[in-house]
This record gives sequence, C-alpha cells and structure tokens, in this order.
Amino acid sequence: MDQSEIDALLAGGGKPAKKGKAASKAAEADRAPAPPPPPAPPSAPSVRAEPHKDGSGHVISELDTVTSVTERESNKVMDQLDQISRLVSRQQQLITDMMRHEGAQSQGVQKAIHEVMTASKEIQDKVFEAMDLMQFQDITRQKLERIVHHLRQIHDYIVDLLGTGLKSDSERPSISHTIAQTGTTPDENKAHADAVIEAFKTQKKG
Amino acid sequence: MKILIVDDSSTMRRIIINTLSRIGYTDVVEGENGKSGLEKLGQGGVEMIITDWNMPEMDGLEFVKTVRAQNAGIPILMVTTNAAKEDIVEALQAGVNNYVVKPFTPETLKEKIESLLG
Repeated sequence: MDQSEIDALLAGGGKPAKKGKAASKAAEADRAPAPPPPPAPPSAPSVRAEPHKDGSGHVISELDTVTSVTERESNKVMDQLDQISRLVSRQQQLITDMMRHEGAQSQGVQKAIHEVMTASKEIQDKVFEAMDLMQFQDITRQKLERIVHHLRQIHDYIVDLLGTGLKSDSERPSISHTIAQTGTTPDENKAHADAVIEAFKTQKKG
Repeated sequence: MKILIVDDSSTMRRIIINTLSRIGYTDVVEGENGKSGLEKLGQGGVEMIITDWNMPEMDGLEFVKTVRAQNAGIPILMVTTNAAKEDIVEALQAGVNNYVVKPFTPETLKEKIESLLG
C-alpha cells in the first residue's frame, strides 16, 4: 500500500481487511498511539500518471510509470552502493597505511588490523553482490513490458471491433517472449545458454 | 580496450560497467538502443560490444545484423532476458559470438568476455 492509498483510506475512515498475523499486528498498531505519517517523497507527485479517459490506456500509463520510477529508484540505490564501495576502498587504503606504521608492528596489532581488513573486504564483496542483484529491476521491467504488450493487443482488438477510438502508440521496445521462469538461477541460465551455443557450433562444423 | 555497452536500462548498464571495472576493463562507452549504439561505434575505437536484445527504436538483433554487415570481426556478446533455444540460435545466426541470459553472475560475464578476447 503506498502513501496515496493510505491517505485515501484515512480520509475515507475505512479499514482494509486483515487476516492472521497481519490482523494481530494491525490490532497492536491500533492500540498503539498513531505515529505521525511519514512525509511524502518530494518527487512523488511528478511521477504520478495522468488518468486517461480510456481504461486500458490508464493501466498502460500506470505500468509505464512503475517501470520508470523503479528504474530511477534503482539508480538511487546504485548511487548509494557506489558511495559505500568508494568509502570501503578508502578505508582499505587507510588500513594498508596503518599496517606500515611503526607503532603497528607488534604481532597483536598486526593480527587485529588483518581482521579489520578481512571484514572490510567482506563488506566490499557484499556491496558488489547487492549491485549484481539489482538486475531484478531490468527483468521486472521487461516482464511488465510483456504485460503492457498484451494489454495493448486487447485494447487494439476492441478498437477494431467497435470501430472507434485510437489505437495505441507503436514506439515501444520489443518484448521478450521467452524470459526465463521466475526462480531460475543464473547458473541454470548459463548452463542452458552454453548447451545451445555448443550444439550450434557443433552443427555448424558438421 | 574500449567496450561498447548497449542496453536501454541504465541500471543494467551500470551493473555491467561495475562488473567490467572489477575485472579490469574501465574504458567503456554506452548506447541506450541499437541506433545510439551504431552512433557510438561510428566514433571509433570500440574493440568489443556487449548488447541487450529488447530495446526501443532499434533492437539488439537488428543492431547486431547491421554491425556484422560492416564489421565481421568485432566480438559481440549478447546479454538478454530472452532465454529460449530459438532465441539463442537466432542471435548466433545473426552474428553474436556468445550469449548470456539475465540474471547473470559476474563470473559468467567475466568468463564470456575472456573467452571472446582470448
């Protein structure tokens, strides 16, 4: 539920249906004094899609907004990760300098510095892993593009059928009809692609 | 070594650039679709291409075919969500040298790049 939905709910005085753990958590929240609502992100109003007279056009526009907002927000996360990575690199440089320092030559201090360096490298690895995981944004975007493509087909079919209205725009990226199933691991993807490439090469040779 | 990355997702371009810098390739130019990829390629100096498939204006397959018509030798790696066997074969027939399905690991990208440059 986003802030606009929460605001609408509060304005209407209604409550969403809750079940199980969610219900007990909500009951706890109901008993607790209500915290002040968080401020809305400053950029939120600029990215809201304008409502269309046509229903499917509205849905397409909303999905387009979702993809552009997630891409923009993903880039903000990447900026933060880049910054962490730079800070960790700086920290590693300082640790290396510290290890050369005359006062840091005792075995105990050297051992402690090594441990700090190891921890720092682990942080760096985790930052890189987090960056790699951001691939989900592009894959989700392409899945949404596929949904938009199907919605546009339905929209255009109805326009044809009723002989009224406008057909959808055509300037959109081509869509992937064959995105790997959700949950397929990168290793499975690689093994599959490698097997096809190998078979292609063998066939070409033969 | 200058590498051209063509992908309409700025997030994905950053991920690929990060991976490349970790394995020692820092000279990178970017294009956001096949059309801008061709423009960047025309500016010269590119020695390898990493391209997506699904992009607006000019998709990756058309881009690869256009590049191959002018340059038979430049190594091209396609990195895409298209996972079907027919897609991979179509890309290879168009002139792609190797193929990576998203999501990928940095090790996979590294292995593929090194095999293309080796």
